[in-house]
Amino acid sequence: MHQEAWNEELQALREEALESLRLSVDEASLEAWRVRYFGKKSQLTAWSRQLGGMDPEERRAVGQQLNAVREVLESGYKGQLEEVRAQAIRHQLAAETLDVTLPGRARRVGTLHPTTRTIEEIEAVFLALGFTIAEGMEVETDEYNFEMLNVPKDHPARDMQDTFYLTDELLLRTHTSPMQVRVMKQIGPNQPLKVIVPGRVYRRDEDDATHSHAFAQIEGLVVGEGVRMSDLKGTLEAFAKALFGQQQSIRLRPSFFPFTEPSVEVDVRCIQCQGTGCRVCKDTGWIEILGAGMVHPHVLEAAGYDARRFSGFAFGMGPERVAMLKYGIPDIRLLYQNDLRFLTQFRRVLS
Amino acid sequence: MRLSYKWLSEFVDLTGVSPEELATRLTAAGLAVDSVEPRNHGVSGVVVGHVLTCERHPNADKLNVCTVDVGGAEALQIVCGAENVAAGVKVPVALVGSRLPGDVQIGKAKLRGVASEGMLCSARELGLETRWLPAHRTNGLFLLPQTAPIGRNVVELLDLDDVVLDVDLTPNRSDCLSLRGFAYEVAALLGRENQFDAVAKSQTSELSSAGPLKIHLETDACSVYAGQVMDATHKSESPLWMQMRLLASGVRPIDCLVDVTNYVMLEWGQPLHAFDADCIEEETIIVRSAAAEEVLVTLDGQTRILDETMTVIADPTKALGLAGVMGGQNSEITSTTRRIVLESAAFHAGNTRRTGQRLGLHSEAQQRFERGVDMAAILPALQRATDLLVSLAGAERDGGPVVVGAMDGNTLSRSIAFSPARCNRLLGANIEPAEMRSIFHRLGFTLTGHDTAGEWSVMVPTRRMDLQIQEDLVEEIGRIHGLDSIPSTLPELWISKEAVHLDHRLRSATRHALAWQGMNEVFTYAFVSEGAANALLLPDHSPLAHPIPLMRPMSEERSHLRTHLLPSLAEVALHNLSHGAAGGQIFEIAHVYLADSLPLLQRPSEPWMLGCLWFGSTPESFSERPRLYDFYDAKGVVESWLTSLGFDQLQFRPADESWLHPGRSAQVLAKGVCLGSFGQLHPLVMRSLRLPHALYGHFDLDKLAAHLPEHRLVSPLPKYPQSRRDVAIIVPEEISAEELLKAAEDAVHARRGEVALRAEVFDVYTGKGVPAGHRSIAMALTLSAEDRTLTEDEIQASVDGVVESLAEKYGAILRGQDSGHASRME
Repeated sequence: MHQEAWNEELQALREEALESLRLSVDEASLEAWRVRYFGKKSQLTAWSRQLGGMDPEERRAVGQQLNAVREVLESGYKGQLEEVRAQAIRHQLAAETLDVTLPGRARRVGTLHPTTRTIEEIEAVFLALGFTIAEGMEVETDEYNFEMLNVPKDHPARDMQDTFYLTDELLLRTHTSPMQVRVMKQIGPNQPLKVIVPGRVYRRDEDDATHSHAFAQIEGLVVGEGVRMSDLKGTLEAFAKALFGQQQSIRLRPSFFPFTEPSVEVDVRCIQCQGTGCRVCKDTGWIEILGAGMVHPHVLEAAGYDARRFSGFAFGMGPERVAMLKYGIPDIRLLYQNDLRFLTQFRRVLS
Repeated sequence: MRLSYKWLSEFVDLTGVSPEELATRLTAAGLAVDSVEPRNHGVSGVVVGHVLTCERHPNADKLNVCTVDVGGAEALQIVCGAENVAAGVKVPVALVGSRLPGDVQIGKAKLRGVASEGMLCSARELGLETRWLPAHRTNGLFLLPQTAPIGRNVVELLDLDDVVLDVDLTPNRSDCLSLRGFAYEVAALLGRENQFDAVAKSQTSELSSAGPLKIHLETDACSVYAGQVMDATHKSESPLWMQMRLLASGVRPIDCLVDVTNYVMLEWGQPLHAFDADCIEEETIIVRSAAAEEVLVTLDGQTRILDETMTVIADPTKALGLAGVMGGQNSEITSTTRRIVLESAAFHAGNTRRTGQRLGLHSEAQQRFERGVDMAAILPALQRATDLLVSLAGAERDGGPVVVGAMDGNTLSRSIAFSPARCNRLLGANIEPAEMRSIFHRLGFTLTGHDTAGEWSVMVPTRRMDLQIQEDLVEEIGRIHGLDSIPSTLPELWISKEAVHLDHRLRSATRHALAWQGMNEVFTYAFVSEGAANALLLPDHSPLAHPIPLMRPMSEERSHLRTHLLPSLAEVALHNLSHGAAGGQIFEIAHVYLADSLPLLQRPSEPWMLGCLWFGSTPESFSERPRLYDFYDAKGVVESWLTSLGFDQLQFRPADESWLHPGRSAQVLAKGVCLGSFGQLHPLVMRSLRLPHALYGHFDLDKLAAHLPEHRLVSPLPKYPQSRRDVAIIVPEEISAEELLKAAEDAVHARRGEVALRAEVFDVYTGKGVPAGHRSIAMALTLSAEDRTLTEDEIQASVDGVVESLAEKYGAILRGQDSGHASRME
């Protein structure tokens, strides 16, 4: 064939192949196109074979043209293949799109009771301060609940805690404080200790928004040689900061408990208004969260400790009150009603 | 205690100390002030007026037109609708331009055509404490005494410029149930002089000629009894200033005699009582124990049946009153009384308290006796009241007071050893000994003996019976000096061996595991009704059927300690079902209380129980239709939870609990120990509990803690691939899955020790193709060997062995075999 004829043929093939390529819009037709133009039976292959029979000069000229066409077609093919594949993925993605706003299929996580959450949080703070956790029984003897805590029969302090008795000697503990003596007897005599005691306690109160005949309490007790009231202040300050934020401060007010001397009420800065005064703190800027004091020497002695050498401090707090403040729960009865619409608001794991 | 700021200022100079500041200082010293409330709620420009004339209003039946002299040049014309208005009375007049509580401003008005230049006021309109005023003082105008000066500002006349501090006293501070106690306290806090004795102590010194009264003390419940006989006639009203102080203190003004006794009680803290002397036979007072079933009609008109534990004041023939609690009607002061006996005594605190409790009485006097009165105040208070009755009611003494009895050793002033160094050590503070000395002095304590050795002797007066030991004095120093000055320190760190006991951790882990399984934790009350557990079909011999009763329950619904958590959880389910929930999964970890015997002889056992309740249906979801919770929901939770605690190789056997459906419940065993049970509730139990559909799980966590598996080392990973074959076989339905799987595993282990087989159920089928009484169970058999990859022949031989063995043992028929999963790596 003449040089020009070659040229015409090749250009015709090129045009035809490119046109056909443009129309191949899926992988199957592209594959068919590849077989047709690059396969063993393709025109290009046939022509390549003919090159061997040409004289060197012609072979070079035609060969160059042939290669040029081949390169154009190959790169066209590659480009088209990429485009087709990208197109296919785009179609697939579009077809597979979900409504992401429908609820997930995962098993719904349940909840810990807000009181539990608060108790665990408080426990964690005191564990970090080196305290251990002890627990006692709810049915106590009159002796441990009152007598050994310096509350003899007919003492006016019993006005504050009207009691559920089971027999003349057995009662439902009115506070976790009987564990002060029990723990000291267990660990002592005359051994230092730092312990907290979470538990449920009972008082003959009518249930209302702020009172409950059954409630949770956490007792704390630190006994050692040279334990001071300043240690009580520092420990409870650390607790208040850990639970309510580093900006917190506490205030001690003298008070009275038969089993501590001196006794104090401990206030924290109002969590609602940060101390500027609001309804929650009755405009005082402070909220009472616990009672505390230096362990009364009679209690140390009742537990077999040498009250001249050993001193200690004790405190008692209501985790439900803490939970109510922290989560803005207006009525303690909500904590015992167990409405799932209330409980399931406590899904968040971090406190 | 309601504390009048003005009254207090009579004893301690409060110049420059506002009521609010006083409240802050008192609160910081341990006398918590709950509120600071001015008596004046907005009265200004109200003066004393004298009604000169009072004529019927020409156009209104119920109105009067008065002319009122208010001290001005001309009398004012004021229209008034009160029934008790009359010519000659003195009344509070709100002038034009004056203000009354509730933001009321008085202007000129025309009432039915008649001009009115102001308003005559009632107690309510002045904002007085009407709840403590008798009805005749609150109906109509608040009439003023004839001695009230015309034109005088009513705010001053009625002490409305006073402020009341409501102090929440701790039970140890009985001394502050009086102005006297506050006078000492405030003087010490402010470092100012206490004038109490100068103002309130009688200057009369005629103790020589004792009066005619004879007193016999026949019981230990009264240590001192003092009586003063007086000639006194009834006088309806005490002076206005006294009534106002009583009102400010929250005490009802009654008549002059009663007001004086109450006034002195508030002033000195010593309750007083007055008897009609003519009702006392032989002028003889006997303090004795009541006789059993002795009857006394008390002042409130109630007939009281007494017992021997109570103490009465009596004459030789009859009881006259309940000591320290309430007087009797038979010796009450009336308008015909001519002679009185005034009583001032010390009654036993506990005795007074018990008597009050038994009779359901609680008076101001009783409140003071049951906290203990100051021995040193008994006589001065009696003398103070006598003086006031002489000067205010025209009474006359019949001799001096008669005093019988001895001071109780416990209430005498006492000396307490005190070391300033120890005080600072206990507080962790650094307070100068001179400051401590000053504080004691200001509180009225005296230091005796030498203090060179660093040990002081502090004499504490009888009014401070709460101070017994050195630590009490440390508190006095701390609170008067101010607790703010105590620094913050941390105690030494002692490391303990086991900070949290295993059982505590087990409960915590259980809560978290169950919450992650979708269960919601609840807190319910430990008190239930007596029959709460009846719904559980318990046999009578079960300890669960015999709850421990409370001695004084608050209601029948909460009268016993629970033995079981199910009734409490059922209550929660019912609450939620009736509030729109279609179902739920809840759990509680709490004690139940089991008596060894009833009546209770020793502390009951209090095991920690876990109760789980699944009720109603699963939550609605677009991917899963709601369905009733079933046995396998419960089992899934229980298995996941127990596995998370380290239990493996759990066995499930039919449970034998009365509250469970026998065919749809299981007990869980680990190494032969029963850990608890769960399953669908017995239909009769569901009906009793009014639950439509529920499953219950019941675990003793103390027992669980005792059988927790040991900590384990990891198993090595298999070196060679495992192969899986699935077989489906038909077996009689009474063969349990567990039994079948175990038989399959045993079959391989018995034949070829070195081949390991794990068998699991992945499908259960009954219906077409399976004979009645049978079911088809599809098992996945996973085979492996420690030292090689099993060949196809070995695998097939093992599977054949399993099938043969099951055929032999249970008549199992092979329904199908599949190796589609053979290449799956487990």
